[in-house]
Amino acid sequence: MRRWVVVFMAIVALAALAVSPALAAEKIKLIMSIHTDFNREGLDDYIRAYEQLHPEIEIVKEVTPFEDYLKKIQIASVSGRGADIYHVYSLWGVELAKSGILDAPPPAVKNDVRKNYVPVAVNGVTINGDIWGIPTEIDNYALVYNKRLLREGGYSEPPRTWDELVEMAKKLTRFDSNGNIKQYGFTFLAGWESAVVHPFLAMLWSNGGEFLSADFKKALFNSPQGVEALEAQLKLFREKGTDVNGSVWDFPNGNIAMMVMAPWDENNLKTTMGERYADVGVAPIPVMKKPATALYTWFAGVGKSSKHKKEAWDFLMWLTAQVQGPNQTTRMGDYLAQRVGAIPSRKIDTENHPKELNDQYTATFIRELKNSIAEPNVAQGAEIKIILMNEIMAAWYGKKDARAALDDAASQINAILAKHYK
Amino acid sequence: MSKRTRTAWLFLLPVLIFYAIFLVFPVLSSFFLSFREWNMLTPPLQAPNVGWSNYKYIFTEDRVFLKALSNTFIYAMVTVPVSTALSILLAVLVYGRRRDGFWRLLFFLPTITTPVAIGMVWMYLYRPNYGLINSILNAFGLHSLDWLNNPATALLSIMITAVWAGVGTNMLILYAGLKDIPETYYEAAAIDGAHGWRRFWYITFPLLKPAILFVFVTGMIAAWQVFDFIVAMTAPALGKAGGPINSTMTMVLYMYQTAFEYLNMGRASAMAYVLFVIVLGISLVQLRLFRRGGIESY
Repeated sequence: MRRWVVVFMAIVALAALAVSPALAAEKIKLIMSIHTDFNREGLDDYIRAYEQLHPEIEIVKEVTPFEDYLKKIQIASVSGRGADIYHVYSLWGVELAKSGILDAPPPAVKNDVRKNYVPVAVNGVTINGDIWGIPTEIDNYALVYNKRLLREGGYSEPPRTWDELVEMAKKLTRFDSNGNIKQYGFTFLAGWESAVVHPFLAMLWSNGGEFLSADFKKALFNSPQGVEALEAQLKLFREKGTDVNGSVWDFPNGNIAMMVMAPWDENNLKTTMGERYADVGVAPIPVMKKPATALYTWFAGVGKSSKHKKEAWDFLMWLTAQVQGPNQTTRMGDYLAQRVGAIPSRKIDTENHPKELNDQYTATFIRELKNSIAEPNVAQGAEIKIILMNEIMAAWYGKKDARAALDDAASQINAILAKHYK
Repeated sequence: MSKRTRTAWLFLLPVLIFYAIFLVFPVLSSFFLSFREWNMLTPPLQAPNVGWSNYKYIFTEDRVFLKALSNTFIYAMVTVPVSTALSILLAVLVYGRRRDGFWRLLFFLPTITTPVAIGMVWMYLYRPNYGLINSILNAFGLHSLDWLNNPATALLSIMITAVWAGVGTNMLILYAGLKDIPETYYEAAAIDGAHGWRRFWYITFPLLKPAILFVFVTGMIAAWQVFDFIVAMTAPALGKAGGPINSTMTMVLYMYQTAFEYLNMGRASAMAYVLFVIVLGISLVQLRLFRRGGIESY
């Protein structure tokens, strides 16, 4: 009997010895949820570098195509498999914060954001008066033009006012014998809600108008300034400076003279235009009354359900806030400017990446940050923007006049706002 | 319960469990959610009860839903009868011909292609500036049409594609129906001097009614749930599926948009139940109409 007890004790001791190193080696696993366009070469290098510095931590990326990304966050949250780290579009942040998906950042993170990021990016991550994450990529809009086509039309400079733009677009538009436009003077960005709404907001703000009231209870874009802004767009259609078939994606073909575009198109233009990329010029969006453009933000945040919030915030701060290298930049700044082709939002990164950000394409977008206004983080932002997009497009298609389109959009949007802001 | 019955239930159990999990549970939970305001980010049982307000909202305040309802109605009422009529015509033309297998294969080919691939190809055919269809129009001295880019023609363009893609399957079903008609009827009709149209109208059509009913009812159910062609043809061309300005927005597409873009699963569930009632109602009406026409077996 005693012999059996000894054997049993020995087995228990061996089992304990076998299990203990495994327990000791169990790592803290941080799931980082990102979308495909943010997953560029170089991100893994940072992750591996952090894991070497912190052997107790393992970071696993969950990469989802942009169009499915919000759905992925929804489904993962409902099934209790939420990520530890999220990289999200600021407009989604409203629902994510309200629903308890996002963790409120620690005071040190909030202070760092307030102090070190460009003010418009701070506005971008502010939801209901509070900061909900660390700004990463910011995107504003500018006029992108084809220097060769302008030259051939007799213009040495891009337009400075919207009236000049309409005049130039009319002269730069060419038709074939069947009446089809073969060269567009101007083409609107279109197809998804931000594409239509953001340039309109830029013109609305440039004309002295407002999008929504400060308390988000009322739509204000159907003011006389808003109607004037949309009328200015419609003038381009009436004077045949553009039509609804024009596509900004044809710009690399060399048959579009001007378009309103964001910084993220730079790599596409470089790749598709080759040597003709030298023809690309960028200027501020022509003003109506004062310089203004629209801006949107992406930010990194931590999941409220994460069991390792501190470790997740520490990693994000290492990635986004630690200044390093001879250029005195952050890792996120380097990654955005060099790999993603986007504008970083930390002040030091916008200043210390002259090679990437002070070039032919991006320099104007950087200069325009001072005139950029962040789109408001309003509840049901996607639905509100889709309604406004459809009404603006109804005006483009001649189904409604500018006043009727904006009034119709305002009445639908006010009904939504009334549910969320009482 | 006898041993024999118990054994039968035992064999049925896997299927019953499958249907309970993947059909009954989603159907019931969707009904429950249609009375809630749920954004899919919080636990569904915590979602506030809003009574009938989701149903009220979609019929009184949601203009896009009413537009989607009317678009879907037009789509179903045009594509199903046109596709069925064309299928009958093709089946009758092909039936009994030499090498009819070749013709059946030819018309069936679009069916084995995925709707996304068909949609993409047709989207390029419809392109305003470089599309093949406009090039042909231009070659005859006609002006280009905007097809998918014009709210007046976008839904029509998609309906043409849907009819083209669906006619092959229907033709095969009707062809099988034609084969079931005994030759003796035609021989008797020939002796009585009935040919051509009279032969079709008094023999072929009545005896083909069960197959026509099947094609019509299944076509109608599918048409009210159209999603794939709309997304495949409008999302890549216009960026946002259902455009331009909601001219191709259908009920299932709007349901999807409401649930996954507007994060309003409660309202989307209410739409799903409205669609369910519509499809059920239309199917019952069709069955009744065909029963009056002498079909009792359905």
